Amino acid sequence: MSGTTPAPVEAVSKRRERAKNGGQGVVERRSQLQIWGKSALLAIILLWCLFPFFWLIMTSFKKGDLALNSPNLFQGPFGFQNYEAVFSLNFHLNLRNSFIVAGTTTVICIIVGSLAGYAIARLPMKRKVLLLSGILAVSLFPPVALVPPLYELWLRLGLLNTWEGLYIPYTAFTLPLTIFILVTFYASIPKDLEEAARVDGATPFQAFYRVILPLAAPGVFAAAIIIFVQAWNEFLLANTFAPRNPEIAQTVPVAIAAFTGAVPFQRPIGTITAACVIVTIPMIIVALVFQKRIVAGLTAGSVKG
Amino acid sequence: MKTRRKLSTCATLAGGFALLAVACTPGGGDEAADGEGGGEMVWALGGSEAQPGGVHQSVAELWSEQNPDNPIRIEILPEAADEQREQQALDLQAEAGGFDVLGVDVIWTGEYSENGWLESLEDIRGDIEAVSLPGAFESATWGGELWAAPYNSNAGFLYYRTDLVDTPPTTWEEMCQMGAELGEQEGIAGFIGQGAQYEGFVVNWLEYYWSAGGELYNEDQSEVLFDVDLATQATEFMVEAMDTCFAPGFNTAAEEEARNEFQAGNAVFMRNWPYAYGLIQEDSESPIQNDFDIAPLPTFTGQGTISALGGFNNAVSAFSNNTEAAKEFVLWAATDPEVQAMLATEGSVPPTLASVYDELSDDPVMGLLGEVLPDAKPRPPAPQWNEISVTMQRALYPAYNGQSDPRSAAEEVRTYLDGTIE
Amino acid sequence: MADTQTASARGPADAGPGGPRAAKRKGLSERTLAKVFVSPSILLMALVALFPVIWAVVISLYAYSRRQQVGFGGLDNYITALTDGRFWDAVWFTFVFTVTSVTFEFLIGMGFALIMNQAFRGRGVTRAAILIPWVIPTVIAAQMWFFMFNVTPGFINNLLGLGNFNWLGQPGWPIFAVVFADVWKTAPFVALLLLAGLQTIPGDVYESARVDNASMFQRFFYITLPLLKPAILVALLFRTVDALRVYDLPAVMTGGAFGTESLAILVREFVVRTPNPGYGAALSTLTFILVLGIGMIFVTLLGRDLVIGTEEER
Repeated sequence: MSGTTPAPVEAVSKRRERAKNGGQGVVERRSQLQIWGKSALLAIILLWCLFPFFWLIMTSFKKGDLALNSPNLFQGPFGFQNYEAVFSLNFHLNLRNSFIVAGTTTVICIIVGSLAGYAIARLPMKRKVLLLSGILAVSLFPPVALVPPLYELWLRLGLLNTWEGLYIPYTAFTLPLTIFILVTFYASIPKDLEEAARVDGATPFQAFYRVILPLAAPGVFAAAIIIFVQAWNEFLLANTFAPRNPEIAQTVPVAIAAFTGAVPFQRPIGTITAACVIVTIPMIIVALVFQKRIVAGLTAGSVKG
Repeated sequence: MKTRRKLSTCATLAGGFALLAVACTPGGGDEAADGEGGGEMVWALGGSEAQPGGVHQSVAELWSEQNPDNPIRIEILPEAADEQREQQALDLQAEAGGFDVLGVDVIWTGEYSENGWLESLEDIRGDIEAVSLPGAFESATWGGELWAAPYNSNAGFLYYRTDLVDTPPTTWEEMCQMGAELGEQEGIAGFIGQGAQYEGFVVNWLEYYWSAGGELYNEDQSEVLFDVDLATQATEFMVEAMDTCFAPGFNTAAEEEARNEFQAGNAVFMRNWPYAYGLIQEDSESPIQNDFDIAPLPTFTGQGTISALGGFNNAVSAFSNNTEAAKEFVLWAATDPEVQAMLATEGSVPPTLASVYDELSDDPVMGLLGEVLPDAKPRPPAPQWNEISVTMQRALYPAYNGQSDPRSAAEEVRTYLDGTIE
Repeated sequence: MADTQTASARGPADAGPGGPRAAKRKGLSERTLAKVFVSPSILLMALVALFPVIWAVVISLYAYSRRQQVGFGGLDNYITALTDGRFWDAVWFTFVFTVTSVTFEFLIGMGFALIMNQAFRGRGVTRAAILIPWVIPTVIAAQMWFFMFNVTPGFINNLLGLGNFNWLGQPGWPIFAVVFADVWKTAPFVALLLLAGLQTIPGDVYESARVDNASMFQRFFYITLPLLKPAILVALLFRTVDALRVYDLPAVMTGGAFGTESLAILVREFVVRTPNPGYGAALSTLTFILVLGIGMIFVTLLGRDLVIGTEEER
């Protein structure tokens, strides 16, 4: 602990600071070694995560077979034509499709999954473990074997090449993970908080909204971002149900996989990396927005019961 | 703080519901309904030349101009043959009838006909047989019946460095020796082909095996002629070559990896399809842009040349609503001189109409193709070709990498082939 | 919501557990409420996922010659699969892959989560940076790592001065490359779950520990880890079942060569590449049973944790 004794107000705010950061807190005094060590660690982590992405960016700007296939990152010549090519293929429509499909999946999953999660975590029910196992089992069957019957069903129902043809199965297959995450987080909230709020005169719904929801927020947002990213990157079902036609429902991963080069056999690594960079940027923005909510942590007023 | 949180929550909720509302609007119609009743035909074709601006699009436009009642449009499939087959199979298996004409790879004929997916083309057989390359024609038949119309072809070339090699070798051993010597001298690899564990590897291996005199089946696939000794010879050649002249990346290379290595000047010899010729010649960055040429593939005997036959044919879907027009189209695409010449000149796609090769013999690629195609051997378009190919890959790939014995691998293949006849 | 109705029906004077009649009413409606809450999920999952699974299991009992059905085979397909060396090779590789990749993903993910939890300058950027590997679509990541590891053009070889080291073309090393790529790609997923879990640990627990002079290690092992247990179990559960079904990475990087053929690759072979619907469905069902079995272990641990946990709260 620090040597100084701060005034009571400061002590409270410092405790809140520590509480906000999950208790790991900010230590006032650090040795130089610690700082250097942490910076080095940080640098290694950033390098590990970002280096391949850097390769993607560099490659997306390269021109010509030699540069694109060279082990040297900095071998030119460079240009924008990969990006031009990508947009000439209506890639922005693919972005639209992916966004709508992934977004809808996330919204439906969170709503439906929250209800189920809350029920399993809080409300009395028989054989919860059995139910959880059943829910898990749904998402475990190899999807590739489910494709033939689903394709025919979708064909009869006219769901091929539509957004709902995608987000309905996505929701169904992502609900298990959602429910598991949400059950975990709802269960981790101490019951007395709910009770205390009700004793204080809040209706059950107010208790849910003011007390439970903020505390479960990290879990909900973690689940939301996981659902979104998984739905966004899903390939097998999208490739089966909406393999072509960006103007209708073709999603991003399918479009990228379908890129052809200027000649047969060519794997157009230039356009693929350019598309990847274009795709990653909105994803990073989504990630940044959501991660803030995950780490919003314990807001003032809700911890002390 | 509170108001901000309330606002952002409200915004999130509003956004969520707005999304739900929007997403309930169907994005579009049911693609499978196309081709029904109307005059327009759908041609399921993939690859780069099927894209807007490619030669197949020009072919489709030409037909549509000449046949305004029955125009045709291309439904663009992915580049990779396996994926094209998957997408076609989904439609055909479900009998959806979304495609009228299918771009069928030469090795799928038997499989598609066995599944009842194709219309027989026996009634237009005579016209096509008379003018097409024999190998290409054979690849469109199965069980004695014609199931597709040849459209384009492909054969393997030996690419070599003219600054290092004066006369191209005529035997594989010679090539390997030259490659090793010159490679060592220049600090590059001797030879690169397609050695990764996939269909392309089987193609390469068959070129060694066939050029040693081996066969798979007899004429009508009623007897297995697979020769274990010759197969062992081919495989043992590869085992040794892995140490002497094969490039380090040989056993993970597909067409593109091989082309990139050769194009970057890292190999003396390369085995690849004709498509690489134009690419290298037009690449001003390539150190070998003007220092390479093409030649027929060597053999073990030193006589003649053998290469694997590639390409694809046009077939008519059994579930099409426009069978007559579709048949006319595939006949026209196979036999019309203008169309076939267009494939060669506009798209560098080897045609199947024999006469085109006489006309264009000046072009180096066409000239060599004209020389090599008559001897190109198709892989048997048996319905079980996929299974055979996978068995060969799984047996021979470890063998040439020194993981198993070449002779037992050859015997394994023989046993499997015997099983396909019963 | 029924709960609100009963509460308001009871009125403020009746706050807290009333007489036996009130308790029973509350208990009944809570149970029904639970069923009502759970049913949309169950309905959706059953509609979409159940019928194809049943179809697949039924198909697996029939014998096929390529795509044509030739008769009823009963359990023949299963027997063929279970006596095929190729099946067990795939199981072995899948198992080895799962254990190694999940272990490393957990360790690295935990490290990431702890760091992401800290307050320091540039933490937003760091958090976003850590998530980047995970948001890149798998198909692209697989191609990227193939390109990097492949001996031609030898990107990694060039970087580390390894000459012509054939990562993907000799026995032993392709597994390393595939695991490495998977860990790179999915450790952030584990980190995300663990980070959310870390957020639920109230600060005063650490406070009191610090008052008691607990060291950093003691705080981590005796406070953080136990409180994090549910999140850890969920993360491990889903990473394990996903790793058991890995497809893209080995398929693109090695095509299944040199012992890197996973169960999913094998299934796909017989459903798509050399189709035999009966055998493919049998393989799928076997995979399903295997994955479900392992998943169940985690669920029982987790369920026990949750159920016991909630009971203890009372």
